[in-house]
Amino acid sequence: MRFSIRRVSLLFLLLASPLALGEEVVHPTPPSAASTPSIPVPSIHRSLARITTTSQDPNYREPWSAGPIEEAVGTGFIIDGQRIVTNAHVVSNSRFVTVEKEDDPHKYTATVQFIAHDCDLAVLKVNEPGFFDNTTPLELGGIPEIESTVSAYGYPVGGDRMSVTEGIVSRIDFQTYTHSLVDSHLAIQISAAINPGNSGGPVLQHGKVVGVAFQGYSGDVAQNVGYMIPVPVIERFLKDISTGHYDGYMDLSIATFPLQNPAMRNALGLADNDRGVMVSKVAAEGCSDGVLKEGDVLLTIDGHSIASDGFTVLDGSRVEMAEVVERKFKGDDVKLHIIRDHKEMDVTVKLDAAWPYLMQANTYDVSPRYILYGGLLFQPLSRNFLESYDIDDLQVRYFYDFFLQDDLYKDHPEIIVLSAVLPDPINTYLGDYRNGIVDEINGEKVRTLDDLANGLRKQSDQYVIKLLGVGRPIVLDRAAVESARQRIDQRYNVVKEQNLRD
Amino acid sequence: MKTPTRLTYNNHGYCLDRLVAKPFYLRSLRSLRFIMNLTAKIAESAKDFRPVHSLIWYCCAGLLAGTVHAAPVNATAPKLVSVVRVNATDQGWDYFHPWTKHAPYSHRGLGTVLANGEVLVTAELVQDANYVELERAESGDRVPATVDVIDYEADLALLKPADPAFLKGITPLQLTDAGVGDHLSVWQLESTGALLITDALLTTVAVGKYPADDVALLCYSLTTSLQYRDDSFVLPMVKDGKLAGLMLRYDTRTQDADAIPAAVIRHFLADAAGSTYNGFPKAGLLFAPTRDPQLRTYAKIPPGTTGGVYVTHVEQGSPGQAAGIQEGDVLTGIAGKKIDQDGNYIDARYGKLSLVNLISLQKSGAKVPFDLLRDGRPMTLDVAVQHRQADSYVIPPYVMNKAPDYYVLGGLVLQELSRDYLKEWGADWAKKAPERLVYYDQYQSDLFHGEVKHLVILSQVMPTADSIGYEDLGALVVTKINDIPLKSFADVTKALAHPINGFHKIEFDENPNVIYLDAAQVSAHEDDMQQTYGLPAVSRTSEQ
Repeated sequence: MRFSIRRVSLLFLLLASPLALGEEVVHPTPPSAASTPSIPVPSIHRSLARITTTSQDPNYREPWSAGPIEEAVGTGFIIDGQRIVTNAHVVSNSRFVTVEKEDDPHKYTATVQFIAHDCDLAVLKVNEPGFFDNTTPLELGGIPEIESTVSAYGYPVGGDRMSVTEGIVSRIDFQTYTHSLVDSHLAIQISAAINPGNSGGPVLQHGKVVGVAFQGYSGDVAQNVGYMIPVPVIERFLKDISTGHYDGYMDLSIATFPLQNPAMRNALGLADNDRGVMVSKVAAEGCSDGVLKEGDVLLTIDGHSIASDGFTVLDGSRVEMAEVVERKFKGDDVKLHIIRDHKEMDVTVKLDAAWPYLMQANTYDVSPRYILYGGLLFQPLSRNFLESYDIDDLQVRYFYDFFLQDDLYKDHPEIIVLSAVLPDPINTYLGDYRNGIVDEINGEKVRTLDDLANGLRKQSDQYVIKLLGVGRPIVLDRAAVESARQRIDQRYNVVKEQNLRD
Repeated sequence: MKTPTRLTYNNHGYCLDRLVAKPFYLRSLRSLRFIMNLTAKIAESAKDFRPVHSLIWYCCAGLLAGTVHAAPVNATAPKLVSVVRVNATDQGWDYFHPWTKHAPYSHRGLGTVLANGEVLVTAELVQDANYVELERAESGDRVPATVDVIDYEADLALLKPADPAFLKGITPLQLTDAGVGDHLSVWQLESTGALLITDALLTTVAVGKYPADDVALLCYSLTTSLQYRDDSFVLPMVKDGKLAGLMLRYDTRTQDADAIPAAVIRHFLADAAGSTYNGFPKAGLLFAPTRDPQLRTYAKIPPGTTGGVYVTHVEQGSPGQAAGIQEGDVLTGIAGKKIDQDGNYIDARYGKLSLVNLISLQKSGAKVPFDLLRDGRPMTLDVAVQHRQADSYVIPPYVMNKAPDYYVLGGLVLQELSRDYLKEWGADWAKKAPERLVYYDQYQSDLFHGEVKHLVILSQVMPTADSIGYEDLGALVVTKINDIPLKSFADVTKALAHPINGFHKIEFDENPNVIYLDAAQVSAHEDDMQQTYGLPAVSRTSEQ
């Protein structure tokens, strides 16, 4: 079980505070030449920042109310341009951020300048002058070799001052970045102990940054398994934000099937050379729509040969072919050499990101969107929403799990769920219809939350809401809803009846 | 030295000297352990059609409560009881490995002897029966029996002894109805064959859930305190010497019992006496209550009119559809009985009952008048209510006594999708079985509109030289083989006869969409594969 270091760091932070309060002020004795050793001050101090974030998570159960406030500690490091690099999860949903240096008593306020939830990186700007005095920006290195030694610097649990841990590079692989849970990128596994509080801290080799410590396994699950974000991902992030706007990762929006079965290769007219994968799905809302087709066999990507298991060779290493796209930006081209209906041809895909997969991602720095009408609460389905409600309903789970796979987003770009009924005489017979998915209002299809809002804005004596797969329509008498409005708002402490914007 | 006690029933209903006899006590203990594992399943029994639950008893020495009628024994000429012991060995198919069955298990119940020379038991006792035996209570004589008629929905079965003379001398039981407040006698047999009678109070008569999925029929609820005795899987419930019901389930903790009422048994027997067994009919409609005044206005129910239920769904191809009933109609009466806003009517004998009872106890095929309001205007439509065969569902809720068809094609296991397959994932199958297939099963009437009869699935891949690279595939719906659409499993063999350019092209309704097998290689390797995996046969296809 993976955990986000930041969240657990809170727990440890709480545990750590009584010790901090118990610290006594030591009156210094007059120094004598050899008797009092001084505490060493490594130069790395001049490149690190201790980040304290106060954050507020959104409240999906009562979306008109503010969510709980938490405080957490993480690490950041200084790079050129008076910027601090850290993890996105250290500063997500932040309300107030302060940064501190090891030898400076001043607490500086900072703001998040750029944040990338798809690769768990963020850049902070410090609001007050003076923070960057006597600091040394770190430089980025390359990809360290397997088994070489690296050191992780940061502010993990176990004390208040900077800590160093050392380990070796264990593995370089594609991993899911747990911050969003839908993105996978290159990640480097190291054996150095990485603990809550280390998030956002630099991992150095020969004085250069080779990674940002960001996630790991708890000791119950695996030992000495920590992960760092490698330099290619950091570099791509810094390049992306250089335009003043973060566009994010792109993908081909296709699914492929490995071509390892000999009969299948024969049937597709392929040589017996362990090359090529078959396109098994082209997402309708993706950038490959109209360029690639189901059944196409992909042979090379940007000139790199694709093996039958979907891997290719980049810079001398065998990596998943997605790595080629990983290094590109919005609007860049990807050239593919393919076989279609037994004929070889070249196609070019212009990269863009497909939106539907975001429904299944952890999202941050957003306010829940909702409509409350007649005590009925309507919210769009999303990972955040589902985690708050823990809905068991088969239809809701199916629409969530197969949103992309079964192209459900075409008819339902947003799955609007009747998530709660605030009991009141006008809705007292409607409790059974919780977890229903809205299909129509007064005969008009509802494809997004805005469609529902528009439907309710139109004058009508009755609002007839049809739910998917439910024959009994929900009928709300407009006059009755209006007369109940104040009563419901007061009883349930509703300060705002709808929020249509993120 | 202790003097032997007379073989009588004391207030607690068991023989005193039996308590001392070790083998009996040990047997109870074993059952106790068995009970502990299975009491949880009693709660699940309504969902899980697999007959793993049984009527479980425990022998709590000294803690017995409830009234028991003492039935004095006539030592000279004991009257023959109207029940026989039934020993059934059942063995269900393993849908994960459709060429084999699960391990056989035996259970025993009491069969009620009926006037037609047959013995009545629950379907669960003899479901998937390999071998059934009848045993006379007083002599222990045994004879094999066959399952003559079985209804999984009503949970009833009729057994016919191989030797018709076997039941000679036993007076069959007639049927009688019972009502709320009646005391029924639950019959059990002592090991000597003597009758043990326990009182049961009938507290509720209502349309209730039966063990099979989606089945609701008239049901008796009783409260009774039963002791453990062998063969207590099926027990008759008797009133005035006549059969009033058959025990459906019993919970030892709450002491609640459910029973199949005589009215349901009567319907079953009348149907069984005919040339073909039809089953309990439905109209193919779903309803919602109309208490909500906003719904009543929407449905245009005239103010002042009370009652009626809102038709929320009309099943395609159903009797309701054939009669012209539409979604949005308000059903106000069935067979001349007024329907209230919750979907109940007043039954002459039982009081308020669900309208389902007005349909389910009709003869299958009977024309029943349905009074309804359409846009506020009253009309009457005659519905020829009919039983819906399990096989008519795209994903059948159960398969009756039929070995599953399958084809192991080069390691790819192809079979037909049914709920029995999904239930192999256990009691929690709705959460554990592949979600897509569970979704298809639950929403099949919305998703399929006659384009297929049944769904063929690739359930799993057994690694062979021909299936390299396909090992991770499973739970996929197969739409076509060799460009031939599969409307049911029967099309599989037909399609395999026409490989395309020497390949079998197998298409799915999701990733990877299409895979290929070398037809000649698959054939050539068939014997080897069969040997390697110990398959009795590479395929089984029933004659259609």
